[in-house]
Amino acid sequence: MTIINPYESLPCRLTEIVEESPGIKTFTISPKPINFEAGQFAELTVPGVGEAPFTPSSSPFDNDKLEFTIMKVGRVTTALFNLKPGDLVGIRGPYGKRYPLEKFRGKEVFIVGGGVGFAPLRSLFLALVHNINDYKKIYIRYGARSPKDIVYKQFLPKWDKLENVDILLTVDVGDETWNGRVGVVTVILDEIPVDFNNSVAIVCGPPIMMKFVTKRLLEAGFSGADLYLSMERNMSCGLGQCNHCRVGELYVCKDGPVLTWSQIKHVREPFV
Amino acid sequence: METYFLPLDKFVPLLLRLIEKYEVFIPTIEQERPHFHRFSSEDTSTISFEHIRTVEPVKHFLFKPIESVASFDKPLEKGIKPQAIVGIKRCDLKAIEVYDKVFLDSEFVDPFYKKRRETTILISADCPQPEPTCFCNLLGLNPWVDEGADLNVTPVRSGYVIEPLSPKGEAIIEENKIWFENTSPEDLEQREASRKKALDKLKEINPDRFKEDLYERVNVNEQKFCLSEASGCVECCGCLMCCPTCYCFLLYDEPSNERVRIWDACYYAAYARVGGGANPMPDFTSRFKNRFECKFNYFYKYHGFFACTGCGRCISGCMGKIDIRKILLKL
Repeated sequence: MTIINPYESLPCRLTEIVEESPGIKTFTISPKPINFEAGQFAELTVPGVGEAPFTPSSSPFDNDKLEFTIMKVGRVTTALFNLKPGDLVGIRGPYGKRYPLEKFRGKEVFIVGGGVGFAPLRSLFLALVHNINDYKKIYIRYGARSPKDIVYKQFLPKWDKLENVDILLTVDVGDETWNGRVGVVTVILDEIPVDFNNSVAIVCGPPIMMKFVTKRLLEAGFSGADLYLSMERNMSCGLGQCNHCRVGELYVCKDGPVLTWSQIKHVREPFV
Repeated sequence: METYFLPLDKFVPLLLRLIEKYEVFIPTIEQERPHFHRFSSEDTSTISFEHIRTVEPVKHFLFKPIESVASFDKPLEKGIKPQAIVGIKRCDLKAIEVYDKVFLDSEFVDPFYKKRRETTILISADCPQPEPTCFCNLLGLNPWVDEGADLNVTPVRSGYVIEPLSPKGEAIIEENKIWFENTSPEDLEQREASRKKALDKLKEINPDRFKEDLYERVNVNEQKFCLSEASGCVECCGCLMCCPTCYCFLLYDEPSNERVRIWDACYYAAYARVGGGANPMPDFTSRFKNRFECKFNYFYKYHGFFACTGCGRCISGCMGKIDIRKILLKL
């Protein structure tokens, strides 16, 4: 009898590493070791160092490879940044719930990202684009610290040309190359050109940005049930057992990582 | 269910039969407290059923404090031996129910817990003399066992009333039939009397009940909740480590590529900290409250019962003299 061990990682190989911005890299793994749906995450292992949870940034419909866009913040990510194409990593997952895309059908999808928080949103965006006619319109509102901190620079112009896609960027601090908006991400949320009765919003970014964007989107008219928030917690096991990723009675690893505002609004400090 | 009488001098022979198949652990008194002790054929220690639950929670046998759970580049070798745990009290059996919910009744079944659970014989014993820290009666439990174990033992006159509670327990009796006698009405009366005495004692220790809506009451404002009682806490996490229902763990990888699972506890400051250093539970009050919410609200919402058994280990183990009952009764 084969015992299924949920703690075991599948060995796989890094094939490409691209620097997106200072401190953020996209790691490509191929062949694709696991399937996932937009919203789900996986635990990535650096052998001998440890594992950490990440949501893929590639399209769930890409059958050839899996990509993760990762910021260097701690022990595991630092070790990951020292790896080279050809090196072995481990993966287990996918874990958590997918975005309920069937609920987004026929609606305007308003995506708000900050910094490396754009990574999981790219996966969602590519999944939406895969069936672009299912959605009324897709908006992306993205903020980065400075022009050089913007991720996916090579893709953004291409995405912006897609019909039914509307992209607006802002940077906290501009430079001589920058002609766009300047200010934190809420400056591009003054106008939200959607029909709040027929739209959903999805937010992912640093906690402080999540807090203020959530506030703004609720004030603007989104309902708590239509506001999808990508939560960050210490997801050690990914299995809904170790307890570290609790937000109120919910497990971010099992019930999330994307939770609606309605699900977490009773929690004292959901964004940390 | 049917009951049997086992004469006093037949209990050790029964244990000797069990060690042919199982690693057997029995409660014995060391430094005046009951502890589990590995039984061997040369053993001269005295088994003690008279005390309350052991100092160590039973989770030690099913969910190791630290163990390898995977290895990145080679198959994990795991020798899980069949074991028989003797003298488990009602509170610890209830704790196993909590563990079963988390590790078996889950999308991801824990293979190590499952294997140990399947190969472990649980031989329980009535709790004849509850102590001042005991409060299982406040959690709806009785200080005796009528379900959840394989066999239950009640000491009476010159022997034990043995009650099989599962097919595994019945098989043990069947295999050793020659030593078992029929119970007399006096044996059963004595068992009843001893049980009633224990329950009366518990009612005397804990005259007040928790409120019906306790699970909602633990969600109250943090400051109101714990300032008075939490002040004695030194964040040693002893209460959580000795708690039979606490099951938090952390995974980490060794340079040798082994993945290790270790018990963790939510009172540790870094418990919830994330990669970038942010901490969802930075202040002690939020962590102190988390323990109560976890056991009395979250677990209740998921599974329909509290993840607390009234064993009182957190009370007797607390160097800050915090009594969980006082906090719960005040809510």
